[in-house]
Amino acid sequence: MTSVASPAAERPEPLEAAIKGEVLRMYHEVAEHPENEFHFYHGRPAAEMFDYQRAWLDRAPPGAVASFAGVGNPHLRSRVREGDVVLDVGSGAGLDSIIASWQVGRGGRVIGVDLNPEMLTRASEHARQAGLEGVEFRQGRMEELPVDDQAVSVVISNGVINLSFQKRRVFQDLFRVLRPGGRISVTDIVSAKQLKQSIVNDPKLWAS
Amino acid sequence: MFALLEAAGFKRIRSAVVSGFRFRKDSTRDAAEEFGVKAVLFTAERPA
Repeated sequence: MTSVASPAAERPEPLEAAIKGEVLRMYHEVAEHPENEFHFYHGRPAAEMFDYQRAWLDRAPPGAVASFAGVGNPHLRSRVREGDVVLDVGSGAGLDSIIASWQVGRGGRVIGVDLNPEMLTRASEHARQAGLEGVEFRQGRMEELPVDDQAVSVVISNGVINLSFQKRRVFQDLFRVLRPGGRISVTDIVSAKQLKQSIVNDPKLWAS
Repeated sequence: MFALLEAAGFKRIRSAVVSGFRFRKDSTRDAAEEFGVKAVLFTAERPA
């Protein structure tokens, strides 16, 4: 969450590793057992809550919809056009990348980046099920995106950047990969007040 | 995030609260309310 952002140097590395582990475990749980209940809404109910078009949710592979764990709808303001190159940071099971791929059409391209190899496999499978060729998924960290300088025209992201301990670096890297005139549309969790240290140090709460 | 976007060089930064966002469990929802936790949609541009 934004107010707890601090440079990595101020953080003990084991805590960051523990939090990353818990976050990966939680996303695995959502993907593997979408029928379970979590602290957050997920799947189709969450997507409908955020005004995802029903036609998108009907058309997308059911697995991609069921594993959706976003916190909003970055497509509402992304203004993606045909031919755009879109980067989806924290692509998860692939729903947002798939929607973006429909928007860019055959002349465009979508790159999904995720830390979790298991999610990359799922997202690739969902894109294949959707019959999409212009979307690829790459493993990487959002602080050091596996994308060339000025390679993309739009960045979307949904509920992921708040998980980084190095948010400054994340935004610097988003700026690096965007073409001049490019834009971002990011939904994420922020906190108006400084969180208690006991909350900051609890990996389970980061994952919720 | 607004300040971080600005520091990175982004312009035309806009934000809007995601009105539909809420946690499922009451305990989490109460804690989130206490600390002003909310979901926000940010948009910004890299200057041409």
